[in-house]
Amino acid sequence: MKYALYLPLFILLFALGCDDDDVLSTQEVDFPISFRAEFGGTPLAIQSADYAYPTGADLKIQLFQYYVSDLELLPAGGGDPVQLSDIELIRWMSATEAATTTRTFQAPIGDYVGLRFGVGVSPDLNAQDPSNFAADFVLNENEFWGPSTRYVFAKIEANADLENDGTFDTPLTYHLGSDALYTTVTFNRTFTLDGTQDPDFTIVADVLKALADDTDSFDIANPDQQRIHGGNQAIATDLWNRLADQFSLETR
Amino acid sequence: MISGLAGAFLLLGTLACDGGEVALTAKREHLEAFADMLVPADNPATLEGVALGRDLFFDPLLSADSTISCGTCHRPELAFSDGLPLSRGIGGRLGRRNTPGLANVGYLHQHLFWDGRAVGLEAQALHPIAEPHEMGGDWATVLGKLRRHPDYWPRFRSAFGLGSPDQLEASHVGKALAQFQRTLVSSDSKYDRVQRGEAVFSTAEALGEAIFFDFADDPEGPYAGLPTGECAHCHTPPHFTNQRFFNNGLDAAAHLEDFGDPGRGGITGSKAELGLFRAPGLRNVALTAPYMHDGRMATLEEVVAHYNGGGEYAENKSANVFPLGLDSVQATALVAFLQTLTDSSFVTQSIMLLR
Repeated sequence: MKYALYLPLFILLFALGCDDDDVLSTQEVDFPISFRAEFGGTPLAIQSADYAYPTGADLKIQLFQYYVSDLELLPAGGGDPVQLSDIELIRWMSATEAATTTRTFQAPIGDYVGLRFGVGVSPDLNAQDPSNFAADFVLNENEFWGPSTRYVFAKIEANADLENDGTFDTPLTYHLGSDALYTTVTFNRTFTLDGTQDPDFTIVADVLKALADDTDSFDIANPDQQRIHGGNQAIATDLWNRLADQFSLETR
Repeated sequence: MISGLAGAFLLLGTLACDGGEVALTAKREHLEAFADMLVPADNPATLEGVALGRDLFFDPLLSADSTISCGTCHRPELAFSDGLPLSRGIGGRLGRRNTPGLANVGYLHQHLFWDGRAVGLEAQALHPIAEPHEMGGDWATVLGKLRRHPDYWPRFRSAFGLGSPDQLEASHVGKALAQFQRTLVSSDSKYDRVQRGEAVFSTAEALGEAIFFDFADDPEGPYAGLPTGECAHCHTPPHFTNQRFFNNGLDAAAHLEDFGDPGRGGITGSKAELGLFRAPGLRNVALTAPYMHDGRMATLEEVVAHYNGGGEYAENKSANVFPLGLDSVQATALVAFLQTLTDSSFVTQSIMLLR
């Protein structure tokens, strides 16, 4: 019975806690975001699947990867964006990997109106050498071209069967990246994070859409367009724009 | 969970200076180009642990018939390779694959072995002892020897804080060997000195560097029009490996099941990864002949000729392996550049480990 004397005090403290907006605003929840790779709308299978290319060739994809910088949530009512991550490397390089990979971030509960990120390595990080980071940091994944050319923002590697003879003997390697190519992608979505009915977000990237659309397919039969390693900026920019423009956000 | 190794290098430097013992490390300076080595939190480097690992590394006691040590195949004078196409185990048993060099192996925190069957040095070190074609023994026997050993047991006790011999496990052997191998650091090759502005490449070496790193990708640069070697996609500095797995076109395979050595696919079970092998680091590569996972190429010239030809067809051959179009001068230059990765001070200090 003597503890009953403390009950009003507990109630008062609880009420004070609930009234404290600062406490509420810093509460965070786990917020998983998935990244799915596709080819022509189907989940990407590294090396193990044959994919039809619009020009009639078939492809086997060996590698698809891109950096995501400054992954942020846009608060409702304005204010500073909430950064979930400064840099992520999203990579598919093995036939043993699923087409969807999920990263879990910490996010404040609240109302939001969008999600945005940079495709590539943000200029401030792109200015730093790999040795500045921990050996297992994503900028130490051996994607550094060199002191002047910096990090490779994205890669697509494949072998093509141009003649439909069953041999995938035309290599395609597209390695892209420079500060000038860094692109911000924004998805406008209204959603609430409260830890109970949070949305499931999947950022989808389609390799085929990065190479071709309904009217214009990247000419993989042209030897000049089979290997782009940053130097050929005119072609690299075209390919980069296709890649950066094709991201979509799937919400469930 | 993991911490940098800078403190360990300082400790080991102190040992080398104070105790009059042999140097346990290669050069500890010039590490600014490397991200700090990762060390598991449960196996920080200690003086006792590194010294114990060194002695275990060169002690044939670990093999079934006490004839083979780690150092039998990983010879310091050959940058810790053995000069043979395939390794030789107890009784002259022929191994399955070529012995890789160990320069900077401590920096390779991902998969080890040609097929990547171990992750991290602590795990890697456990494999050869029970491999029939390597040390050919078993852990129960080895641990029995070590627990009874008048020198090793007290040193294990000191290095790992063990209370009684029965607490000595295989993992402690792995940890000691890993601690030692993390001291095998090469950072003073001519390539390194050029990067630091302390030396300059010869004309041939500079041409080889341009080929190795695809300088011709810059259409406005001085090497525009030069063939690209496509080397650094997989052999990425500073350790000249990206630690990943590739089919580099050694064998033609109309069907992926045709590969004689399954490589990475033998570990993952993935048909698509049959015939893939881990890209080896190239530091001191001129000392680690012969080359490839099966040691089929005797010289660097053969290696360059292989890549220049584009390799044999298989549908999972790396897209970065295709005919390069190098002429003889360019091929020679590429070899000259590879020779700049030799670190003579690393070799000299490594040989001192045997004294």
